[in-house]
Amino acid sequence: MKKSPPTPLSRAPLFQRGEPDSSLRLGSCRAGSACRFAALALAVVLAACNDGKELAPVPGHDGVTKSAASERALRRAFDGAPPVIPHAAFGPCVSCHSDSGMAVEGVGFSPPSPHARTKGMSAVSRCQQCHVFQTTRAVFADNGFDGLRQDLRRGRRLNALAPPVIPHQILMRENCQACHSGPTAREEIRTSHPERARCRQCHVEQRTTEVFETSGP
Amino acid sequence: MGNEKSSPRPDSGSLHRRDFLKLTGLGAVAAFSCADREEAERLAAGAPTVPADLTWGKAPCRYCGTGCGVEVGVAGGVHGGKVVAVRGDEKSPVNRGLLCVKGYHLPALLYGRDRLLYPMRRRPDGALERLSWEAALDLVAERYQAALDADGPEAVAVYGSGQWTVFDGYAALKWVKGGLRSNNLDPNARLCMASAVSGFVSQFQSDEPMGCYEDFEAGDDFVLWGNNMAEMHPVLFSRILENKRGNPGVRIIDLATRRTPTSEYADLYVEFKPGTDLALANGILHLLVAQGKVDRAFVAENLVFRRGIEELEAIGWGCYGEQAQRYTFEDEARESSFAELETFLADYAPPRVSELTGVPEAQIRSLAAIYGEGSRGTVSLWCMGVNQHTRGTWMNNLITDLHLLTGKIGRPGANPFSLTGQPSACGTVREVGTIANRLPADMVVTDPEHRHKAEQIWGLAPGTIPEKPGYHAVDMFRALARGDVKVIWIQTTNPWVTLPNLNRFERKPGDGRFVIVSDIYPTPSTAVADLVLPSAAWVEREGVFGNSERRTQQWHKLVDPPGEAREDAWQIIQVARRMGMGHLFPWPDDAWHEPMFEEYRKFTIGTGKDLASYEQLRETRGLIWPVVGGKETRYRYAAGFDPYVTKRKGVHFYKAKGYGERAAFWLRPYHPPAEVPDDEYPFWLSTGRILEHWHTGSMTRRVRQLHQAAPEAYVELNRADAAELGVKSGDRVRLVSRRGELELPVAVDGRGQPPRGSVFVPFFDESRLVNLVTLDAMDSISKQPDYKKCAVRVERV
Repeated sequence: MKKSPPTPLSRAPLFQRGEPDSSLRLGSCRAGSACRFAALALAVVLAACNDGKELAPVPGHDGVTKSAASERALRRAFDGAPPVIPHAAFGPCVSCHSDSGMAVEGVGFSPPSPHARTKGMSAVSRCQQCHVFQTTRAVFADNGFDGLRQDLRRGRRLNALAPPVIPHQILMRENCQACHSGPTAREEIRTSHPERARCRQCHVEQRTTEVFETSGP
Repeated sequence: MGNEKSSPRPDSGSLHRRDFLKLTGLGAVAAFSCADREEAERLAAGAPTVPADLTWGKAPCRYCGTGCGVEVGVAGGVHGGKVVAVRGDEKSPVNRGLLCVKGYHLPALLYGRDRLLYPMRRRPDGALERLSWEAALDLVAERYQAALDADGPEAVAVYGSGQWTVFDGYAALKWVKGGLRSNNLDPNARLCMASAVSGFVSQFQSDEPMGCYEDFEAGDDFVLWGNNMAEMHPVLFSRILENKRGNPGVRIIDLATRRTPTSEYADLYVEFKPGTDLALANGILHLLVAQGKVDRAFVAENLVFRRGIEELEAIGWGCYGEQAQRYTFEDEARESSFAELETFLADYAPPRVSELTGVPEAQIRSLAAIYGEGSRGTVSLWCMGVNQHTRGTWMNNLITDLHLLTGKIGRPGANPFSLTGQPSACGTVREVGTIANRLPADMVVTDPEHRHKAEQIWGLAPGTIPEKPGYHAVDMFRALARGDVKVIWIQTTNPWVTLPNLNRFERKPGDGRFVIVSDIYPTPSTAVADLVLPSAAWVEREGVFGNSERRTQQWHKLVDPPGEAREDAWQIIQVARRMGMGHLFPWPDDAWHEPMFEEYRKFTIGTGKDLASYEQLRETRGLIWPVVGGKETRYRYAAGFDPYVTKRKGVHFYKAKGYGERAAFWLRPYHPPAEVPDDEYPFWLSTGRILEHWHTGSMTRRVRQLHQAAPEAYVELNRADAAELGVKSGDRVRLVSRRGELELPVAVDGRGQPPRGSVFVPFFDESRLVNLVTLDAMDSISKQPDYKKCAVRVERV
């Protein structure tokens, strides 16, 4: 099994804003200047609705450093659906959406992939199997689907000092830091200790709401 | 970034955010709809949580033949509830939790606002008017009875689907063959995998592959014959990629007529001229024989050799042009031998094959080395490229021949593996046998013993089931156009988008036919129907599908269908009852699924196609048949896996009684395609599917995310051809064939890149019907049309 590149550990903050790893920088994109130019068209331009107002800019823009639940919901059919790609096509996805994400000059912070370490399914091999571009805003026929919304309750904990349990599925979200640390992490779920790389040593997935019942005395 | 100004500037050539905003322009790129925005605001305002009554039920995916397991999130219970989410089922051995973009967006397919809700009849002025189920079902029964009385059982037909559940297909089969006493029952799967059926049946006298999806982890080399697996079977392709990631020696070989997303992952990309795959396969066989790479012991123990009719004039290209209105070609087998094979293959030495196919000799040798390397497991995969082929059966035979000659068959990681495109093309069409000449579990209507067995299980008088095969799909619609078929009921499929050379099937007002269409949304097929019936979809009803690896999967009804929509099987049963054929469906209205399945299962027990009990299917994520003693069989015909094989090792093709329980190696020559480009029509046209849309798009186009990703059909052009024509991506061109024409936007260097002189158009777009242009030539044996090869001209608009 090929290993993913090592995750930065406690020696340096996980996300050094303003000083991205130069090897990840856009300017070093191997595809050359065409790619670089296209990358700048990384269009986080959220065009106005009928009322003429622009939507809030994406995280990383102009100092906005958290991904609001509303922003997150914008890109998904329901909680659990893969987000659509909110920018134009360019280069290989993982050159920006790497294991640890990267700052893209002139654009903002490009969030890491939460499934960079998903085992068993080459989840990082073919991003566009699940994530598609929006090439139009038109619809073919109106649809009344009303999808599941994100559960914003936090994971339960035994007491104020105990680590909260993980209230969501782990599958495809094995890279905890993608959502729980770094510039794009929402404040309310941002970890205070990103340097502790083995999250699931203390935080466990809640897989059932049932309680253990003994079979006898 | 943002307010942090300390970041190093990218090197020269980079632009500032402000600049690129100017460059791209505000409306230039992706954006979100107002509905999204409202949703976002709503979400921000409240504190949304999961509905308290959220429950998760299992189901297979509604779309392709992979059969991914999904967990379906339902809020509000079965009655009055809605599907609000799906997630990949981690317990499913098929996909282990992963889905593709279509699968992740499954729930929305149920909620298009234009769902068909009530039965509707076409008035003389062309408008549709609502009527009650009672009146609609009476009308169907009346029309069938009138046609039977006036013109006999050949004048009625049912056109079904590989998306039918096992229940729908079984109800249709029993009603048509045992009730109407007609064999005019054929599925849309005729357009999709009929060549695979005739391939497997001609070689093993039993349909469907011997391997299972575990081949994707066990194999070393994956040879994709004209198969864009990355888009069409994405989750299975992921399994191969994962194998490759863990084992760098794994190779993917892409044999294709154009570059696709699959090619990006291939270790070897082999581009051949359309239709010359026959020559390429024979070229590989030639080298295997010449280089002594034949597994002689395997051949001696397990094979017989056969040849069929090979003269081009005797075969033709079925139904093309003014050829026989009802095409009746039958292949005739004669015995052959390995010695004859050696002579036969003399024609396929590398230089000639290279000339025919356009494939460099070195690549042909590489392919022979791959198949010939005994220590490596080779899996051949194919789907529409091989099946939708005027010699599709031959091509199926040749791919399997490569495995038979090298003994790479019937063990993990070494198998010929045909992929299917519909969720129950295998489970319903191929296993139940909703085909013009078939009965359940590999039986055929032309065999008196088979008819007898069916009549016994159904409790019908001997001689009830007619022995003459009915119309195959294309012929069925030709017969409708001619007037030989008076009444046709079409369920769960959209023939006025999918039939080749659609021009032939245009309906004329007052033609005296009666067309009934059961579907969930309005389509070009409901648009020409006299009666439209609203169907329940996917988890709105109980069902069973069978996928490409012989896995039978059951699900429960999870939500009510909208309006008055009812499941297809129910519709058939009600009509049968009205025609005095209620004895075919003696089960109580509220509990007929299980007894119906158990009756169907009787056909399979002891045949090597044994299905699991309904009870067991309910409890599992599907089981791979034959299921004997409650245990599934991952590798058919293989000692140590298949309970029907008593040998200690190796394989035993026990179903092939006619070949002395051996597999048949067929010698099949190269024939040219039915139509090839010339001065007037200089381009090859191939048609197909794309990742985002499933078949005719009647479901996926109503899913916002999928439609917005791929809103319309386009024509892929080679960059050099586009330059010569003076067009670029987005410009419009006209595609003209001898049969029709069509305007399309151009795509250059998109996801697919055809070579010079070749174009590709997807068929999902009902407003840009590429089948107005395609050719209705077909495989003479399987009667499957070739949608991959015809000649067109490209004109600038």
